[in-house]
Amino acid sequence: MTQTRAITLNALSLYAVALVLAAAFAAQFMLHELPCPLCLLQRILFATLAIGPILNIRFGPRPSHYAMSLLAAVAGTVASTRQVLLHIMPGDGGYGSALLGYHYYTWALIGFIAAIVLIAAIMLFDRQFEDDRALLPATGGAFAQTAVWLVIALTAANVVTTLLECGFGACADNPIVYELLRRAP
Amino acid sequence: MEFTLLFLATAIVMRIAWRGPRPLALGLFAAVLIACVATYLHHATDTLKLSF
Repeated sequence: MTQTRAITLNALSLYAVALVLAAAFAAQFMLHELPCPLCLLQRILFATLAIGPILNIRFGPRPSHYAMSLLAAVAGTVASTRQVLLHIMPGDGGYGSALLGYHYYTWALIGFIAAIVLIAAIMLFDRQFEDDRALLPATGGAFAQTAVWLVIALTAANVVTTLLECGFGACADNPIVYELLRRAP
Repeated sequence: MEFTLLFLATAIVMRIAWRGPRPLALGLFAAVLIACVATYLHHATDTLKLSF
């Protein structure tokens, strides 16, 4: 795999992260389901997953950049596994609604494990680490630049919505209202 | 509040990864990841009721 092709795959991975963050927003706004603290942590870890690909696009693919994403994916796997275990008791309906039979944290667990497998698979191709940056367009071209700014914008939007939801205190375990939008009695 | 700060820190690290110096991006990424793990461990002190 050439460096250029690896950068295209890294840009695609950013679109995948953007899709996950956008789907979480869709559930939050269309189904009026506010994310719990563990759900927010999983969103944050999906966002940190994107930092490795951003560095790969800017500086060229390096094993250290993939390692960063692997660490974020492992942390995300631990967080989502804990939430799956929290709702494993028979009769427990789980948190929030299900999508295609699985709750969002179960999809998150599948997503983080898929990320680990895909990152390990892409690291098998050594040619991407050979220096041929002269062939690359600066910062990966419009396709990659759009992916980077999309994922940064979605993360910044999460700053605003999380502030509205949690306010300036600790987030509620089972949030039902946006703390900063709650009217004073 | 801690989640808002973590999202903000992640957005800043992304911006630095895209436009700033690489060593700073790597260092801040490590700090954010450690903060995420610390936040997780704080919430993981709740009792985990398993069915077996």
